[in-house]
Amino acid sequence: MAFTMRAVKVPPNSASLEEARHRVFDFFKQACRSIPTVMEIYNLDDVVTPSQLRSTIAKEIRKNQNVTNPKVIDMLLFKGTEELNNIVEHAKQRHHVIGQYVIGQEGLVHELGSKDQGSSDFLKKFYTSNYF
Amino acid sequence: MAFLARALRQSNSRLSSRCPAVAASCRWISPTAAAGSPEAGAAVAPADPELPPPREPVGGARVELPPNPEDALEVFVDGHAVRIPKGFTVLQACEVAGVDIPRFCYHSRLSIAGNCRMCLVEVEKSPKPVASCAMPALPGMKIKTNTPVAKKAREGVMEFLLMNHPLDCPICDQGGECDLQDQSMAFGADRGRFTEMKRSVVDKNLGPLVKTVMTRCIQCTRCVRFATEVAGVQDLGMLGRGSGEEIGTYVEKLMTSELSGNVIDICPVGALTSKPFAFKARNWELKGTETIDVTDAVGSNIRVDSRGPEVMRIVPRINEDINEEWISDKTRFCYDGLKRQRLNDPMIRGPDGRFKAVTWRDALAVVAEVLHQVKPEEITGVAGKLSDAESMMALKDFVNRMGSDKVLCEGNGPNPPADLRSNYLMNTGIAGLEKADVFLLVGTQPRVEAAMVNARIRKTVGATQAKVGYIGPPADLNYDHEHLGTGPETLVEIAEGRHPFCSVLQSAKNPVIIAGAGLFEREDQDALFSTIETVAKKFNVTRPDWNGLNVLLLHAAQAAALDLGLVANPAESIKSAKFLYLMGADDISLDKLPEDAFVVYQGHHGDKAVYRANVILPSSAFSEKEGTYENTEGCTQWTIPAVPTVGDARDDWKIIRALSEVAGAQLPYDSLSAVRDRISTVAPNLIHVDEKEPCTISAEVKPPVKQQVSSTPFKTVIENFYMTDAITRASKIMAQCSATLLKK
Ligand code: SF4
Ligand code: FES
Repeated sequence: MAFTMRAVKVPPNSASLEEARHRVFDFFKQACRSIPTVMEIYNLDDVVTPSQLRSTIAKEIRKNQNVTNPKVIDMLLFKGTEELNNIVEHAKQRHHVIGQYVIGQEGLVHELGSKDQGSSDFLKKFYTSNYF
Repeated sequence: MAFLARALRQSNSRLSSRCPAVAASCRWISPTAAAGSPEAGAAVAPADPELPPPREPVGGARVELPPNPEDALEVFVDGHAVRIPKGFTVLQACEVAGVDIPRFCYHSRLSIAGNCRMCLVEVEKSPKPVASCAMPALPGMKIKTNTPVAKKAREGVMEFLLMNHPLDCPICDQGGECDLQDQSMAFGADRGRFTEMKRSVVDKNLGPLVKTVMTRCIQCTRCVRFATEVAGVQDLGMLGRGSGEEIGTYVEKLMTSELSGNVIDICPVGALTSKPFAFKARNWELKGTETIDVTDAVGSNIRVDSRGPEVMRIVPRINEDINEEWISDKTRFCYDGLKRQRLNDPMIRGPDGRFKAVTWRDALAVVAEVLHQVKPEEITGVAGKLSDAESMMALKDFVNRMGSDKVLCEGNGPNPPADLRSNYLMNTGIAGLEKADVFLLVGTQPRVEAAMVNARIRKTVGATQAKVGYIGPPADLNYDHEHLGTGPETLVEIAEGRHPFCSVLQSAKNPVIIAGAGLFEREDQDALFSTIETVAKKFNVTRPDWNGLNVLLLHAAQAAALDLGLVANPAESIKSAKFLYLMGADDISLDKLPEDAFVVYQGHHGDKAVYRANVILPSSAFSEKEGTYENTEGCTQWTIPAVPTVGDARDDWKIIRALSEVAGAQLPYDSLSAVRDRISTVAPNLIHVDEKEPCTISAEVKPPVKQQVSSTPFKTVIENFYMTDAITRASKIMAQCSATLLKK
């Protein structure tokens, strides 16, 4: 699988938004098909189910749903394919996959907001970073 | 972008001359095809049947012709007629015509030396090519800049210059922004014929700021002219003759000017480079951010060059109204202070007297809790000398909302004259000082308080022989001046017309009085200022067409603080404070502060006030935030963030906004633009960036002053030019400067 993917050259730019959209679906399917392999390689059976991974993939893709420029979509697809390759080729380790796709970006600490309840948006952002 | 512009310029000069933005930001030297080949110069070029189209002036400059047509003349540059004012040189005429002549020794702000010969052009009917920088343009002159003779001449000059210039570009700090490098690429020959040994020159020690590699010097004497003409120190000079010529200090001596860093910029090669910056970075890896300086009240325009999260160097930007193209050494070299002694986490002092890092949530909760335990009138807020207008506005609103009106800015004294803007600003403007013919400096030493203002005064004195009278402690001003006295009695004598200097003031057309902001701190400041006003009225210093009554402020926050009304009396506010909020204020005296007072220090450096603080809230420095500052002439400018904040620091106004919410007195703004809207209701002039809001001349509304001037002589306000605020005090370079350069 990995080798076949590597053999494929960078495809030409999508001519239209339609084509780009099509490629996104192809990519999604490709990623979903590799889920069983990934579960196998990284021993994920006891931490996650295939359907959870599928929805994580969908979520990652939906993060960019406002992108309308086919060139940008192509670029994002390229990055996605690369990431998928890295995972499938076992270029990552178990904790990478768990950290990025099972637990999620927020990490283990989940602020439940009990402390900040009632405080303004400004204050919540202020506590996390200077840049907002 | 730069690549693109270069390509455009080479392929089609018409294109780039039509977009002045490109032309203004960078000086391109355009080689032509023929300049590359050595033979081309010798061959007789066929007359060009087709003239290139006329160009815009170099750098998009505007030329103002004198109103009287007799004072203008017409010359022909490469076949195009241009009109120029009388007294222009050939080189300036070419610039007006849009032809950039290569040069090394010529600098528009220095006198003309004419010794590098790089600017040779051909003038019709003159037997030899002429040095255009030193040749006055004459009516009807036909100047040719692109002929084989001119090209050959430039190539020859390049060859001579490179003869003794070392081939060390790869390890030279000037590499990439070197005039010699650029011009030898554009005008030099493609091969060398020199097989002898190169000469070498001993390096000179010019102090902790300027590094010298004297073998690289091409003897253009720009640095010598800068030192004598602009900086006003006779430290540098040319020694020896012929191939033994070298630049140096005549005796083993350091360069002791507060403007010495500028020789780094004007040196066209890498002979004079920045010592602290040596081998730290190459200029093409740096990101430039155009911002302003806050180490004094001048607000010099600077570019902060950064690499990643680190400020690598600071260089000047041109602003004719403020700093021309120079900056002081403090401005240029204080940047290493931005990396030292920084506060990066909120901290609370524990019972054992040690600071413990905590989260923002805990720190703000503690502060808010203490805030609720004190009486409203025991709350005091103090803004520091580097505060921006946004944070001062937030601080004032916050303290007011907590029920107190004790909010002040350090350095403003017990009762600053904050009612009328013209009472605390430099009314002539910095550039306007050039029109003056008599200066009276009262209790101010511009050389240490505002080096760029001093440079203007010096320029005026040099150009028009303006007279300077100085009242204050003995000072080392670098121009001719008359030391009239050390205390206010001299001022009174002048006001009463009993002093010999009165006759000088009497005969002046545009007299200027500059009063130092150090006077604000004196007990008798009301009486002093009313005496100064008497002098002003007596000698026509303020009249409808000229307001020469100036106040020279000391720090960047001062003007905006006075605009926003941070004017509580420090002595009283501190004495009665149980909760003291220091927003970067380190120089305010805390001796009178009650023992049990709770002190919050919000700032970017662990400086003096931290020793007394109970809670530390880390904030961002001027290189990391967007802030509004007003300089001493009332010109509002913005800083632009160049690097990210350090650690867990936050912008000043955000901290106060967050604290206000935790304390239950939420301020009504959530974004920078909302803060600025709020500012516009208090001081609309702080919204108009890069503009100088003219102040209306005061109609006499002042109550008569009953106070008497005391006889205490004026004090030196700034003891150490190099260390005046938290950033400069943290800087190692500034510490070295004060150790070696200050005369003890
Ligand atoms: S040191 Fe630099 S500025 Fe001074 S004469 Fe030499 S080349 Fe010119
Ligand atoms: S620039 Fe004219 S001689 Fe140097």
